[in-house]
Amino acid sequence: MTAGTTTLAARPQAGRLGSGRGRAALAFLSPAMLVIGLFTAVPIALTFWISLHEWSMYTPLGDMEWRGLGNYSDLLKNQDFFQALGNTAIYVALVLVVTVPLSLALGMLLYFPRVAGKGVARAVLFSTYVVPTVAIAIVWGALYAPDYGPFAQVFAALGLPDPTWLSAPDTALVSLVIFHLWQMIGYYTILVIAGLTQIPGDLYEAARIDGAGFWRQTWNVTLPLLRRTTTFIALVAVINAIQVFDPVYILTQGGPAESTSVLSFAIQRAAFQHGLAGQASAMAFSLLVILLALGGLFLAAMRRRS
Amino acid sequence: MKTKSVIAAGAVLALAVAGCGSSGGGGGGEGAGQTISFLTHWGPDQVKALKAAAAAFEKSNPGISVDIRAVPFGNLLSTLRTQGASPNGPTIASVYDLWLPELVKDGLAAPAPADVAKELSGNWPANLVEGVTKQGAPRGYPNEVDLYALNYNKKLFAEAGVAEPPKTWDELVATAAKLTKRDGGKVTQQGFGVITSWPAGVVHPWLSLVNSNGGALLDGGTPKLDDPKVKAATDLYARLVKEGSTQPPMSNANANTTGPYLDNFVNGKTGMIIMANWWQSSLKDAMGDRYQDVAVAPIPTGPGGTGPASVSYSWLTVVNGKAAPARQEAAWKFLTYLNGSTSGKNGSSAMGDILTSMGILPSRTGDLKAHEAQLSDPFLAAYVKELANAKPFPAVLGGEAMSQAVQKHLENVVFGKETPEQAMSAAQQEVADILTKASK
Repeated sequence: MTAGTTTLAARPQAGRLGSGRGRAALAFLSPAMLVIGLFTAVPIALTFWISLHEWSMYTPLGDMEWRGLGNYSDLLKNQDFFQALGNTAIYVALVLVVTVPLSLALGMLLYFPRVAGKGVARAVLFSTYVVPTVAIAIVWGALYAPDYGPFAQVFAALGLPDPTWLSAPDTALVSLVIFHLWQMIGYYTILVIAGLTQIPGDLYEAARIDGAGFWRQTWNVTLPLLRRTTTFIALVAVINAIQVFDPVYILTQGGPAESTSVLSFAIQRAAFQHGLAGQASAMAFSLLVILLALGGLFLAAMRRRS
Repeated sequence: MKTKSVIAAGAVLALAVAGCGSSGGGGGGEGAGQTISFLTHWGPDQVKALKAAAAAFEKSNPGISVDIRAVPFGNLLSTLRTQGASPNGPTIASVYDLWLPELVKDGLAAPAPADVAKELSGNWPANLVEGVTKQGAPRGYPNEVDLYALNYNKKLFAEAGVAEPPKTWDELVATAAKLTKRDGGKVTQQGFGVITSWPAGVVHPWLSLVNSNGGALLDGGTPKLDDPKVKAATDLYARLVKEGSTQPPMSNANANTTGPYLDNFVNGKTGMIIMANWWQSSLKDAMGDRYQDVAVAPIPTGPGGTGPASVSYSWLTVVNGKAAPARQEAAWKFLTYLNGSTSGKNGSSAMGDILTSMGILPSRTGDLKAHEAQLSDPFLAAYVKELANAKPFPAVLGGEAMSQAVQKHLENVVFGKETPEQAMSAAQQEVADILTKASK
């Protein structure tokens, strides 16, 4: 008892920076903290600082003109910002609603059945994630071409009306979501498979002995034990969807009629095309705040459930 | 992983700029050998020709070396924004005239020295020199000139029994209706094509119709989008869409300024479209022998206009005002050579040779004369003829944002999301706000 108390009392001492362990911890953490500080904390702080100014990016940072919170109050009156916010929300919601169930279904299909070629199927599914988005986006632009594109030809051969894909405001955003899902679903499926490998086989055996069929096992064993994986996938899917930029830039430039103008594209356009780096930074910082709030709410909800 | 870098897009760039050091100075002291860089958006063939001109210049100017940097058109402005203020940024840049007011305001477009100014006034048309003159001094060499005209497919005209291209808006509507083909309820060939998802591709052709109706985008610094002569061009678009002669889903452009709008014209699915002369090389490449079906006519005149009045714009080469004085001096020396009569063939400048190789109109008087034969090509000749009637697109502070605002509302009309009245009223307000903010 005495020895245990002494050990417990000594632990905080060992963690102090002045002590040997503290110095070692500092030494080991420093490189990572330096990298995080330099490439994450500093840019975020700088973004906020720029968002308080008017700046075209043609001049040194020291020549920026102070605007205070003017860029933020302008955002509240900016219809384009709210349209981009709305488009981003729709895009994220569509991605999330499809990604989680589809990746779970594909993951289980590629994990449980004992069939040959599962490894190849996994590799093929994952390969879309590895190819650079720019290269794939160009290919998808050709696939989506109205009338003469391969998709249009298939629809015509089946006697179906050709969807307008990227060429009309009603379908352009959904077409980008389909492209995103095609590219990312392999990555999420691999995460599900990794999660499935962590579920002990004897749990399924016990369930089978208790008379549980496939659906019962899925509902009462697989899904509850995949909750952490599912939470992670949902969070990463939301973050990746919010960041969508490459296909918008390459394929639609935010059009037609602003229907695919998402926040990352609006930020780029304001900064680089219009020379409004202060306004763009205000949008970027607002997006960061929204992301942090969403992430916090999401994790809090998941923690409460578990 | 990449969350913060995307979220902090502006900041990363800022960091890059900050990391490059303070403004001004730097690179090569006075009298020492100078390395100057030339930033362009040209393709590989033109870059090769530019490098050859640079090599010839270096031979006769041993102290100066010229480094050619090429980026895609879509990245040109962002490269200028991220590298322009750095002393190691491009010394010379090829820029769109709409960007010039901001470059001058922020000190990136240096005033031309007296000898260059004198050469410009003697060898370039006065209106073009005036276009590149800001705050009392020319800011660079005017190079290419682009303007818009009606492009049409002669084969489709013959099939529809139309002998002549339309000269008026009423004729345009009637001709577009004749050229439109339907298979059941589906339009398989549109009479008149418009462009979407590309600011200049949307605004310039529409503004050519506005100009040809006696209207204007701006009166000085005041937007005129609520002028009935301007709204009439938007009404024309709405009418063509309503009658099915214009098919909005065939209008899309991508980041490379190609895409369905071009494909549909190339594939004979669009009868007429208003486009600029620079796309001649794209048409030749894509159409092969079918290029002979393409013809060019002046912009149809509206009921309020007195004749065709296209929109023109130009590109110029500027010298970075943030570069060290010795480097600026070397840059002007190279530009003088590149735009002079000794660098090209048959009295043309090397710049004139490069531009005409792309089907682009040069602006130097001697280059126009030296390339007379090439410019008499029926496609280009039609544009050259309209040059005198063309009105320059207003190059004002906030011009890019203004174009995008107009583009948005025009696309809303094309896709039936706004009436012409709503679109022009909203655009008028937005453009006024943009220009007021930009001029502060």
